[in-house]
Amino acid sequence: MTTASVPPPPPAQGRPLGASHLMRMAGLASLVGRGRGSARLPSSDPAARPLRLVGPGRADRPARSARRRWGAGRRAVAAVGMVLLAVGLLSGPGGLATPARAVGSVHAPIVGSGSTWSANAIQQWIRNVWVNYRWKISYSESGSTQGRNDFANNTADFGVSEIPYAIANSNEGDTRPNRAFAYMPIVAGGTALMYNLVIGGKRVTNLRLSGEVIAKIFTGVITRWDDASIKADNPALALPAIPIVPVVRSDGSGATAQVSIWLRQEHTAIWDAYCGKVGRPMVNGHCGVTSNYPVAPGSGFVSRSGSNGVASYVAQSHAVGAITFVEYSYALNTNFPVAKVLNAAGYYSEPTASNVAVALLEARINQDQSSPDYLTQDLSRVYTNSDPRAYPLSSYSYIILPTRLEGSFTEDKGLTLADFGAYFLCEGQQHAETLGYSPLPVNLVLAGQAQIERIPGGNPAVKGIAACNNPTLDTSDPNGNALAKQAPYPDECDRAGAVQCVKGTGGATSLSPTETANDSKPSGAGDASSGATGQNGGGAPATGGANGAAGASGGVGASGALAAGDQTSGNSNTGADGGTTQGVAALAGDAAVVAQAADDDDALEMAAASPGSIPAPMSSATAQIAMLGVGAGMLAAAVLPPVLAQRGPRRDRNRLSALAGAKPAGTRPGTRLS
Amino acid sequence: MRYGSYGAGIMVLAIMTAVGLFLAIRGAQAIRVAGGDFLTEQAWEPNSGRFGIAAVLFGTVMIAVIAIAVALPLALGTATYISEYAPTGIKPFLVGVVDLMAAIPSVVYGLWGMYWLEGNLLPVAEWISTHFGWIPIFRVSRFDPQDPLATPTVFTASAFLAGLVVAMMVAPIACSVMREVFAQAPVGEREGALALGASKWGMIRSVVYPFGRGGIIGGAMLGLGRALGETIAVYLVISPVFVINWEILSTGTNSVSSLIALHYGEASNFELSGLMAAGLVLFAVTMAVNFGAGIIIQRSRSGASS
Repeated sequence: MTTASVPPPPPAQGRPLGASHLMRMAGLASLVGRGRGSARLPSSDPAARPLRLVGPGRADRPARSARRRWGAGRRAVAAVGMVLLAVGLLSGPGGLATPARAVGSVHAPIVGSGSTWSANAIQQWIRNVWVNYRWKISYSESGSTQGRNDFANNTADFGVSEIPYAIANSNEGDTRPNRAFAYMPIVAGGTALMYNLVIGGKRVTNLRLSGEVIAKIFTGVITRWDDASIKADNPALALPAIPIVPVVRSDGSGATAQVSIWLRQEHTAIWDAYCGKVGRPMVNGHCGVTSNYPVAPGSGFVSRSGSNGVASYVAQSHAVGAITFVEYSYALNTNFPVAKVLNAAGYYSEPTASNVAVALLEARINQDQSSPDYLTQDLSRVYTNSDPRAYPLSSYSYIILPTRLEGSFTEDKGLTLADFGAYFLCEGQQHAETLGYSPLPVNLVLAGQAQIERIPGGNPAVKGIAACNNPTLDTSDPNGNALAKQAPYPDECDRAGAVQCVKGTGGATSLSPTETANDSKPSGAGDASSGATGQNGGGAPATGGANGAAGASGGVGASGALAAGDQTSGNSNTGADGGTTQGVAALAGDAAVVAQAADDDDALEMAAASPGSIPAPMSSATAQIAMLGVGAGMLAAAVLPPVLAQRGPRRDRNRLSALAGAKPAGTRPGTRLS
Repeated sequence: MRYGSYGAGIMVLAIMTAVGLFLAIRGAQAIRVAGGDFLTEQAWEPNSGRFGIAAVLFGTVMIAVIAIAVALPLALGTATYISEYAPTGIKPFLVGVVDLMAAIPSVVYGLWGMYWLEGNLLPVAEWISTHFGWIPIFRVSRFDPQDPLATPTVFTASAFLAGLVVAMMVAPIACSVMREVFAQAPVGEREGALALGASKWGMIRSVVYPFGRGGIIGGAMLGLGRALGETIAVYLVISPVFVINWEILSTGTNSVSSLIALHYGEASNFELSGLMAAGLVLFAVTMAVNFGAGIIIQRSRSGASS
């Protein structure tokens, strides 16, 4: 099924039906309304009041007549309702006796639940299929644990989870559901370490961390940023003596599970000690894998629910010192940096799409089609991948598909789900990178396409892999991964050692403040007269020295130019803070040409931070005035009517009662005296 | 008609009993496993059999107490102004505004607390902790006022913040109850006090407040009932911890309802039973508070006459 051949029938067919419904409803409403109006009229008529006082029987009459009319109206409603119900039952989809491989007739709305890790990609795909095909899919970002649970309880048509059911060495009792299901990878990505760190009024964007330091931070062993081991990772940063605030997930989360699997496997001793500290029982002699991150009492950890919760906590301006693990896309969306993580080759790498693709070349996928865990991942070799580009905390995210008609899952839903699956396995992978994820490699797309054929009621138009424009497809080598092959090798400044890149990471592309000049390595583009910046505090004098690096000249040129720009502006405008210095840097004299390249680089990454279909915000001043106006209008609408309505009559009544010298007879609550 | 109202009354009681019974039956499994530890254990790890609501219940009560401590003076002052001092022209306007405050959904208060109040409250919390740190509950052990580099992050997501957010929701309700009761203070007595030479404030103190004492206490208790059960606003602002945290200004607190909201979706059957048991305790506490409020209102002069 191609884009053009997909019929958009639901709205076209639905509209006349909806209109006739509306008309019928309107007719009923006017009928009921008339009955009500005539019933009300006498009692609201001032002339009717004496009647009520004289004889209750007569006053009752209008009410009784109203009841009769109501009765008629109700009967009419009931009759129409019965007719509609009968029609609905007869024309209802499916019926009782259906063949095993029936195909759904319409794209019924489906509901999914689960991972917030991959939610940014899923929500974008859902928007895309809604705009293009009008398939209604709703996805609630509730965390992987709830996603697996909702699928098991039949409350969701599909679940999304980072980890399968019933994983080994787990602290949780997470049994496989009775419902028939299959796993299918949807997208790859890197669990990024997003942080908020400011030195001398300027945001740090080039933090580097080794695995052991990360493990110690999230187990409360390292508690301050000026710890010697963090310092060892970041020779160029003057780390402040402030506490680290590790931000973890409070809900059951797949990101937590992935991190805990990594901790269990790679930093067993540190993780075991943490279990003792928080009082978690051991599983098989070691601290178990968990979806619920344990927090030691009084440790200064902050727990928030959802990826959005942790990311927005870290992104608050007052949360300086906070660090969290969250998918890379959240850092891009909040314009925050992520830490580069030390890999087995001794390089610090960022979870970009290509680095994730490289790392996942070592992922071992369960190829046993008869296993319930078919297609699930074993990442132990990803953690130790010795490619210098690999990002160690890379993983795949999975959708849990129903493979039998059970609960509320119908063929029509199967049709939507299968087509949605076919869409995101094929076209959806193209914008994985823009969204902050990494596309699935060809072999997993093919395996996934086989899995969606198992959805009952589905009739997916599976496209050939060549038609998908998957960025990982290498036409010359069908088993290779083009994205991984073309992945740029890291700059020399990313290697563990005394030199540290100053270029920003994640969603923060600004230059990071460095403490001292890096020792120059005179090679290649290193002669761009850059220097360490003088932004510490009130603009300490910049100490010279080239921030050079061998290798890829583009990246180094950019960082060098930015550094030079900073130096220029530092001279003219000491103590100016980050945002403005960047602006000056772009204009600064002889650095301009190279700075242009840097700007282009920035522009690319900024585009990555905002997926296309999100509308651009209005210009701020008009928008604010408009919103203020709307707010004031709504406030007035809520508050003024009672004021205006009460003012007149109340005054009259008060005057009357004062004249009569008696208590007011009314029973208005505000004026009642007892 | 009479039978109808009897029926409605019985229905309400029956529903209340059914809710209580439902919670008790569903929670029985967890209570049987946890035993008496259910009320004293602080951790919440039903999977390992080690769970109790001591910390959660403590947090709930702490947040509610902070909320009432803030909301009571606020509500009392507002009610006094609206019923006694406000010019008749703007009185209905003020009543409308207060009612509007009560009508704002709690999730809006939660988002407001999360994105606006938290950041703006940090200097306040820091100031309190610096100057009143010698009072145990205002001490924050991980905060050193002498340290020039100390960050205010230790004050985020605290019970104080949650209490303030809940106070904003509780104050309008308490204020409405108090205002109604103040308005009922007998005109004769008011005029008597004024005739004896009392100032306006003297009249309010000697006539309106004693008459409205039931309303003041009742309003506060009703607010307390709501504060104990507040869910989503608390859920949004707190960082849940499972330990009794006496330092109300420091990060980490918890509440029964936010615990349930956080975990019910992902809970296994047994965990769900634990959550039901926690709900049962909250149900009992809230009911006791509301009954207490009812009794106090009934026994007061204004309550008996209304």
